[in-house]
Amino acid sequence: MRLLLVEDHVPLADELLAGLSRQGYAVDWLADGRDAAYQGATEPYDLIILDLGLPGKPGLDVLQEWRAGGLSTPVLILTARGSWAERIEGLKAGADDYLTKPFHPEELQLRIQSLLRRAHGLANQPQLEAAGLQLDESRQSVTSKGQEVQLTAAEFRLLRYFMLHPGQLLSKSHLAEHLYDGETERDSNVLEVHVNHLRRKLGREIIETRRGQGYRFSGAHA
Amino acid sequence: MKSIQQRLSLGLISILLIVGLLVAQSSLWLFDRSLRSYLQTTLQDEAQTLLSAFVRGPNGLQLDERRLSAAFKRPYSGLYFRIDFADQTWRSRSLWDRDLPRAPQAGLQAELGDGPQGQQWLILRADYQRFGQQIEIQVARDYTPVLKSFRQVQNLVAGLGLAALVLILLLQRVIVRRALRPLEATRQQINQLQQGQRTQLDQNVPLELEPLVAQINRLLHHTEETLKRSRNALGNLGHALKTPLAVLLSLARRDELQQFPDLHDSLNQQLQQIEQRIARELGRAKLAGDVLPGAHFDCVNELPGLFATLAMIHGRHLQLDWQAPPELRLPWDREDLLELLGNLLDNACKWADSRVQLHISVTEQGYELCIDDDGPGIAAQLRDEVLSRGSRLDEQVAGHGLGLGIVRDIVDAWQGTLQLSDSVLGGLRVQISLPAKRA
Repeated sequence: MRLLLVEDHVPLADELLAGLSRQGYAVDWLADGRDAAYQGATEPYDLIILDLGLPGKPGLDVLQEWRAGGLSTPVLILTARGSWAERIEGLKAGADDYLTKPFHPEELQLRIQSLLRRAHGLANQPQLEAAGLQLDESRQSVTSKGQEVQLTAAEFRLLRYFMLHPGQLLSKSHLAEHLYDGETERDSNVLEVHVNHLRRKLGREIIETRRGQGYRFSGAHA
Repeated sequence: MKSIQQRLSLGLISILLIVGLLVAQSSLWLFDRSLRSYLQTTLQDEAQTLLSAFVRGPNGLQLDERRLSAAFKRPYSGLYFRIDFADQTWRSRSLWDRDLPRAPQAGLQAELGDGPQGQQWLILRADYQRFGQQIEIQVARDYTPVLKSFRQVQNLVAGLGLAALVLILLLQRVIVRRALRPLEATRQQINQLQQGQRTQLDQNVPLELEPLVAQINRLLHHTEETLKRSRNALGNLGHALKTPLAVLLSLARRDELQQFPDLHDSLNQQLQQIEQRIARELGRAKLAGDVLPGAHFDCVNELPGLFATLAMIHGRHLQLDWQAPPELRLPWDREDLLELLGNLLDNACKWADSRVQLHISVTEQGYELCIDDDGPGIAAQLRDEVLSRGSRLDEQVAGHGLGLGIVRDIVDAWQGTLQLSDSVLGGLRVQISLPAKRA
């Protein structure tokens, strides 16, 4: 999962970056509204966390610009302005959720998880479930056929992405784009290694390789 | 305060009465005087005639009967004389059995004398020196016909004056009402302002009202601006405080701190208190309350947005409904009302199983807002506690109650009441009664 964090308060951004990385998200960070308006529309993010009080361009304007340009990425607004009038304005501008500062880091985590699930049509699930697997996002482990399997951070990130896109054909470059932030060297061999690790832990049939096209997650019961 | 109309009528009546009476009375008096002075000359003529009727007869002086006017001979004719000379007194036959008392000094008498049959006499005394003797001639003439006609004129004038007064008053009423019509229009506009049906007064008013209307409009504008500015400033302050607070909350979760549970707990507690305090006080400071007369909340425009927001926050498993009379405008500030409804509905959504309903109705006393849910509800004996929990800040417990603090602040500012009861849906009903604003 690749996230864009737009927040101009550096200490908060640092905290959020650290927390989000621990949870296995690849996060790009921007502090200026104009940069965000451009990068948010061009890079393939899975979710955007947007502060409203931004230098350069107000967050609401940035959001409106994105939506006017047809961007459908879920956007979570993060703001100190918590009145209902402002919330309504934010959601009217096209936000998918609204979190007011100050907030507990866990709250943000849960909102991101549920927003991602909702965006992929998996609403109302306490845990991410797909194709016979249950992913515990807080413990970064997976339950397969009643057995809990521990995952490394990289495996967790990869499996989560697969589980949010079950049955879809995902190319290596697509996976790399969504699993690593803009500054990480993308090496498709590393990806192959992680896919193999997942197969070893959860069974060969779980991820299907389509030669020259990419991978397809078909799940444990397939 | 008496009405302007009343004051004008009262003033006009008193002025007209005083002036009218003064003019009528003084003109009567002047007329009386000129009439008396005219009658004085005729009486003098009569006296002259009487004097010239003196003749020397065989028994001394006597009056020549033939020269006397017939009126002196007919009893109570209205014309009389009395002649005193030497020690004799002659009286006209017309006096019959009455006496014409001797006047104290010569000339026309100021007082009218009493005569027979209700007559009132105008009396003139003339002194002459004739035939070597002092002769006093008194002539009297009945003045009652004149007085009677005076009284008639008086009555006529009074009647006419009264009619004129009524007519003038009616006309004045019409004129005043016409002149005050813009005032009435402005009054109605102020009423509409109170009801939230307009935000400005019409500037198109007579010259006299213009400064007042302009001043009211300026004041409205100023209040609105001030409110906007202070809300903005509060928003900025909130931003400035809450962002670092978010950092602190995040820092407090650090693994390094987990090794010191006491430190970690008290840090968390203090941070929570700061957070609550800031939220509550900023929320309270942001309230417009009752200061803005032009404020209004357009249900049809605002409620769909609010409900869409709630649906987004709480997912789609809830059925959210609202009911309000068509085109209802509540006369309170939009942001305040959104805050009130938002908080209450948010709570209802948190507790509800499947349904949340908002019902807004107009009552005789004002407006009623009902929020129903089908959640677990609150036991009757606990409701008072829940309500009072919001009243003191330091008694508030995070995550408990209904977050009613800001709701109570708003309802209090509007002098409304808040009640909890059982809902027809099975859960809790929060009922808010708000008094209509008086004009």
